Amino acid sequence: MPRLSIMASEEDWAGAPAEIAPEEAASAISAIGGRRSWLADRIIAPGWYHLSLGLLAGGAIAEAEMHSWVLFAWSVAAYTAGCSALMWVNQRRAGVTMKYFDACTRAVFAGHVLTLSTLIAVACWLEVDRGTRGAFLAAGVLAVPLALAFGRCTDNLLRARLLAGR
Amino acid sequence: MSPAARFDEIVHAPNRLQICAILSAVDSADFATVRDGLGVADSVLSKHIRILHEAGYIEVHKATCASRVRTSLSLTAAGRAAYDGHVAALRSIVGNAGFRGSSRGRGVPAG
Repeated sequence: MPRLSIMASEEDWAGAPAEIAPEEAASAISAIGGRRSWLADRIIAPGWYHLSLGLLAGGAIAEAEMHSWVLFAWSVAAYTAGCSALMWVNQRRAGVTMKYFDACTRAVFAGHVLTLSTLIAVACWLEVDRGTRGAFLAAGVLAVPLALAFGRCTDNLLRARLLAGR
Repeated sequence: MSPAARFDEIVHAPNRLQICAILSAVDSADFATVRDGLGVADSVLSKHIRILHEAGYIEVHKATCASRVRTSLSLTAAGRAAYDGHVAALRSIVGNAGFRGSSRGRGVPAG
């Protein structure tokens, strides 16, 4: 059985042996995996986070139903401030700073933005060109589950990345 | 590219290994977050942080926010290299022993 000789440190794994046994190394690797899993659970946003983002986006889109530029400007300002506050609270809750975006999560985010843009464009076309009432309201309602779905997808990718140790 | 396996006594102590495991996944982490992750007292964590800091493995940042001091920790390049090398060494030991599924609890020798 291979063993790696080292000097004993003050808090070795199994009672301070001067060699590292494979069982001890496996235990250390297991502990690393445990911390990674704990970190993933802590970093992943709670359910209210994506729901709140969805409600903010949905509210801003649905407000366009009022056909008021002043209200629209206020809703955009509220959306921006709300998103910033949510991200700040979530970052404080997790207590870490990290690069959330890699190629996969960036693609999901781009997909979310593109989907919302398409939703808004269709609502504009229906409401302004076709005179269909309630298009913005419907788009706003649809934006909430979309935000939840894209948010969960991002969380799953982030969790997989953390567990893989990347 | 996988890092060169190099056993590191400083990193190997259980609490310090777990501190490095947390910090290696993020840019920085609050002192309180790392303490919660390890489930140890502030004094215990401070002792290990001092050892890692003196070895040049972690940086300690202090920022005052609303009259409260927030301490955040991050791995240095040397610390990241030491941790990666240490994990590679551990995997090498486990791999040489014919362990399977080493990331899932204690392994059992294959033969």
